[in-house]
Amino acid sequence: MTSLATREKMPMADAALNQGVATADDGRRLGFALTLPAQLLVLFIAVFPLLMQLYISLTDWSPLDGIGWWQAYELWNSFANYTDLMADTRFWGALGRTALVMLICVPAEFLLGLGLAILFMDDFVGKRVFYSIMLIPMMVVPAVAGYMFFMLFQSGGPVNDILSGLTGMNVSIAWLSDPTTALIAVMIADIWQWTPLMFLILLAGLVGVPEDQVRAATLLGASWWQRFRTIVLPKMKTIIIIALAIRIIENFKIFDTLYIMTGGGPGVATETISVYIYKVTQQDLIWGYVAAIALVILISLSILVSLAISRMNKKKEA
Amino acid sequence: MTAIHLENLVKRFGAFTALKTMDLEIRDGEFMALLGPSGCGKSTTMNMIAGMESPSKGRILFDGRDMNGVAMGRRGVGFVFQNYAIFTHMNVYDNLAYGLRVRGLPEREVDGRVRKIADFLQLTPLLKQPSAKLSVNILQRLAIGRSAIVEPAIFLLDEPLSNVDAAFRAVMRTELKHLQRQFRQTMVYVTHDQLEAMTMADRIAVMDHGVLQQVGTPLEVYNDPVNLFVAGFIGSPGMNLLKGSLADSDRGLVVDLGELGRTAPLPPQLAAAARSNAGRDVVYGFRPERVSLSETGEGMPMPVTFIERIGARTIAHLGTGEQRVKAVFDNDVAAESASTVAVAIEPASVRLFDAATGVAIREA
Repeated sequence: MTSLATREKMPMADAALNQGVATADDGRRLGFALTLPAQLLVLFIAVFPLLMQLYISLTDWSPLDGIGWWQAYELWNSFANYTDLMADTRFWGALGRTALVMLICVPAEFLLGLGLAILFMDDFVGKRVFYSIMLIPMMVVPAVAGYMFFMLFQSGGPVNDILSGLTGMNVSIAWLSDPTTALIAVMIADIWQWTPLMFLILLAGLVGVPEDQVRAATLLGASWWQRFRTIVLPKMKTIIIIALAIRIIENFKIFDTLYIMTGGGPGVATETISVYIYKVTQQDLIWGYVAAIALVILISLSILVSLAISRMNKKKEA
Repeated sequence: MTAIHLENLVKRFGAFTALKTMDLEIRDGEFMALLGPSGCGKSTTMNMIAGMESPSKGRILFDGRDMNGVAMGRRGVGFVFQNYAIFTHMNVYDNLAYGLRVRGLPEREVDGRVRKIADFLQLTPLLKQPSAKLSVNILQRLAIGRSAIVEPAIFLLDEPLSNVDAAFRAVMRTELKHLQRQFRQTMVYVTHDQLEAMTMADRIAVMDHGVLQQVGTPLEVYNDPVNLFVAGFIGSPGMNLLKGSLADSDRGLVVDLGELGRTAPLPPQLAAAARSNAGRDVVYGFRPERVSLSETGEGMPMPVTFIERIGARTIAHLGTGEQRVKAVFDNDVAAESASTVAVAIEPASVRLFDAATGVAIREA
């Protein structure tokens, strides 16, 4: 019975196999043709601008020069923009500040978001209301958030009033005029606005942790912290990586709220990479230089993020 | 090695009472099955023993020690989940070592004990394998090993075979019983499958609607069900239960089954018990295996509605209206549909139940 069935099936299988071999090449060609429009689209929106940027970054071109960007070779300066960049202290300052903001804001948002997400795993009175309130900051337009914090941090503003009330002293810090406090204020605004996103992503991750495995760990005598470290965190690995990657990339580009609050000032105290690029573009109009900056940022950010992700992967596997 | 004592255990979830009242003694080293249909309170009982739920009322004692307020990780209870709850992000070794590592044991001792239990459960060649893709019987062994390595006094198993296909269940049953014999631990096993309970348990606690119905060895529960629920639930098919009323005849006390006529006289001791019972309305019960059919012989005449021949067994469906009877025979029986046969019931197998209360009428 079995042998009969096998014998009957054999020729059909052979035919299918032959057919597959015969059409493999055609199939590949057809597949290429079918994906060509999409590939061209990607080429035009991703690869082409990148090449254009590279080209301009090797010139002194500015839109005020009266020639099209494709004629920028007339202003060719080789790697002058890049060598200038290496010596540009304002650029390095902005880069360092951006890194500092990221190193403080992203971990703070992560820890706050995780803590809140853990709280929201339990039931408590008013959970649904709090849940809705939690998400509001994320939905506020960054420009509006910027003006909000601009007003909050005025020397006669509510932040100082609250601090006065708490300490019993007359606090009148000029938050946005002092280099240190301005940077703090800017970071507080970013943390306020983006903790909810972390919270939302991490809550989804927590909900996805299989409850019975956590229970099994409890029954084996694991404490809360042991369960969290050995079961919950490893299960959330992927989602944590995604959340951190999103925020690292986004935070590196911090601009709108910050620009409205301080405009990068006082002086350059809160000038991040985005603010610096904006100023160079708008005020100095040296687009070749801007293109060089942007390219350096893009490459270094790519390296940073892929390094971080691969390290996190390795650490969890070990 | 611990005896479990459940005292007046009650569990309510809001307005819903999952467990009305439960008194049960589980002996040291015993394999006790909690058997019942879904929603009978068996899982709730087990969760309370494990400490995952706290009782609304009553006490749980381990060797006389009140477990109320003892956290679930500190009760010395090993729990095997329905889906085994293996830590899928760890390999077999780390799963086994988990309970020892969280106790902060030195890694050398952990390693020794993991290798010992892996050897015992024949998991040694799999130690480095990721646990996410193991087959079910290995998952079961791993789940048991992971619990057993911390040497719990009690093992609780929550329907561990319900996700396994029927053919494989027999293998798993044998293996599980074998493991229990070797560990000699008190085991509480929750199941809705009577075959699992009958084949593995030392004693069975039959539950229904949050009430413990009967506790006994598999044969006690099978032979002498205390009430109609147990009689109908245990056995496949369950006990034949016919409504009738007691009647006197010149040969002694009989049961009038209405359309089906009168039964053979009851055995003297059962008759005496039935006479002292207040009600006249009874339910007449007998096992389908305790019936013989003949075309001409003595017995109650019953119409044959349907004959099921399964090979090893043949099930005859007999009777009319609400009074239906199933009879099970080895191999085959000489009866055909639409004929009438004489049904003779083995007198010693007859059980009577009070129709009003459902409780078995027992020989005093």
